[in-house]
Amino acid sequence: MTPGKSPAGHFSILYFAAASTFTAKSTEHLLAPVQAGKLFDRLEQKYPGIKDKVLSSCAVTVNLEYIDLDGDDAPNVDLVIKEGDEVAIIPPVSSG
Amino acid sequence: MATTEPSAYTPDIPSDPITRTTSTIHVSLTPHPLDSLSATRFVRSPSAGATVLFIGTTRDTFNGLPVSSLTYTSYTPLALSTLYSIASALLAKHALTKIAIVHKLGECPIGEESIVIAVSAPHRQAAWRAGEEALEETKKRAEIWKLERFEGGEGVWRANRDGVMGVKVEEGLGKGKGAGGEATE
Repeated sequence: MTPGKSPAGHFSILYFAAASTFTAKSTEHLLAPVQAGKLFDRLEQKYPGIKDKVLSSCAVTVNLEYIDLDGDDAPNVDLVIKEGDEVAIIPPVSSG
Repeated sequence: MATTEPSAYTPDIPSDPITRTTSTIHVSLTPHPLDSLSATRFVRSPSAGATVLFIGTTRDTFNGLPVSSLTYTSYTPLALSTLYSIASALLAKHALTKIAIVHKLGECPIGEESIVIAVSAPHRQAAWRAGEEALEETKKRAEIWKLERFEGGEGVWRANRDGVMGVKVEEGLGKGKGAGGEATE
């Protein structure tokens, strides 16, 4: 699952389950920096339809910590995703 | 856009177990068949009068549809840390002696173990309760995803959370919504 080191000026993003199906990727590198609150818009540009079909039910982690992006005034919308960060899109889980 | 999952979809599964173990907690994600006896041995202790073992196995149907195969993927570093956090919270809450949670990754043949939970405690009530809570918390929180393939080839990403639909893989995300709800157990 390790995406490898991001190239200069990029961060890594990991896609799981339905997010991986939609993007047809398990990981890629995207240009940094990006404001966390703009991440879903950035992905929507790249993968039209993903926001409504997938991201609306997903959580997001940055460097293995969940961030809160739920709503315009959510605590982490202003957080900046930086070069070298590892971001993950976490769909609803289904272990067991 | 096309969102079809190739039938040869091969998730990135570690070739060796990923494990975190202390003297009282053992959590692991493994591509190998689960060993319930080894989990039981880990938690067994002279100070524990009760050991509870839960084994979850994969069912051959979902809502009456025949399931041909299941594959588990995971964000392994995060899932391992979530399992450890669940185990350590339950150890404290129920004054357990020891606890082990082991989950399968990769292809899990129908009828085989996908999860093993073993807990030991001085008395049975704590062990029963903690065993059940460990399973429920794991199903709710561990960053592990199940891909069910039905006979005929259609695949669905299952979701445990109430009210969340599974997503049909072959038809693309927009069109296909499977029935939500519980997957195994």
